[in-house]
Amino acid sequence: MSLSRRLLDILNFLALIAMLIAVYMALIEAPDAINVDPAIRPAQRIIYFHVPSAWSSMLAFFVAFIASILYLITKRVRWDIWARSASELGIAFTIAAIISGSMWAKPAWNTYWTWDPRLTTYTIVLLLYIAYFMLRGAIDEPSRRARLAAVYGIFAFLSVPLTFMSIRWWNTIHPVIVDNPENPNKFGLGPNMRITFMFTNIAFLILFVTLLANRISLGWAEERLDALKEKLNF
Amino acid sequence: MVYLAAAYGAIWFVLFLFVISIFRRQQQIDTEIEVLEDALRRLEQK
Repeated sequence: MSLSRRLLDILNFLALIAMLIAVYMALIEAPDAINVDPAIRPAQRIIYFHVPSAWSSMLAFFVAFIASILYLITKRVRWDIWARSASELGIAFTIAAIISGSMWAKPAWNTYWTWDPRLTTYTIVLLLYIAYFMLRGAIDEPSRRARLAAVYGIFAFLSVPLTFMSIRWWNTIHPVIVDNPENPNKFGLGPNMRITFMFTNIAFLILFVTLLANRISLGWAEERLDALKEKLNF
Repeated sequence: MVYLAAAYGAIWFVLFLFVISIFRRQQQIDTEIEVLEDALRRLEQK
C-alpha cells in the first residue's frame, strides 16, 4: 500500500470518529436552548451541523478560487484538479446546508423557504457552481477547459463573500451566530453550547480535508486515464 | 424532533452520496486504467 493511500485511510478513519463524536455532542451533550419557544428547542440543535456545512462550502469555494488563480499563473494541471475537486465538494456542502436550513426554518419561521437575502444569495452560489461544471462539460480541449473554468471560478467566487456578509449588510431574518452586533459577547450562543459548536466545526474541518483529499486523488486518476487514452488514440 | 431528524438525515445522506460517488468513480477509473495499461503493454511487446 502506498504512503498516500495509507494517509488517506488514516484521514478517513479520523473523519469518521470526529463526525460520530460531533453527532453525540450535538444531539446529546449540548444543552437545550433556553431563550426559544420550547416547541422549537429540538430544532435548534440543527445549527450544530447546518452552520459547519455552510462554512465548509464557503471554504471549499475559497480553495477553488485560490486554485483557479494558481492555475492561471502556473498552468499546472494540479491546480485545475484542486479547483474542480473543491468546487464539487462545495456543491455537496451547500446542498446539505440548504436542506438542513429549510428543516430549521419550518419550525422557526413557519415556512421551509423564503426569499431572504441570505437564502437568495446562497441559492445563486449553488447555481453558479453547477454552471461551472456545465461549462467544463461543454469544452473538450483540456487546457482550454481548465483555463476558462479557472477564469469562471474566480468570478463565481465573488458571490461567496456576498453571501457571507448578506446577513450583516441587509435587513434579514436569518440569525447571526458569530460576531452578532446585538449580542454583548458577539456570540449568539450560550457558553455550554459554544463548546459543541466549536467541536462540530472542527469535525467538519477534518471531514472537509478528508473529502477534498479523496476527491483530489480521484482527480489524479482521471488525469492518468485521459493520458492513457490519448496515448492509445482512444 | 421530526425536523431535527430530517435535517441530520439529509446532511448525512448528501455527504454519504458524495463519498459513494467518489468511491464508484475511483473503482470505474481503476478498472479502465488496468484495461488500457494491459492494451499498452501488448502494443509495446509487438
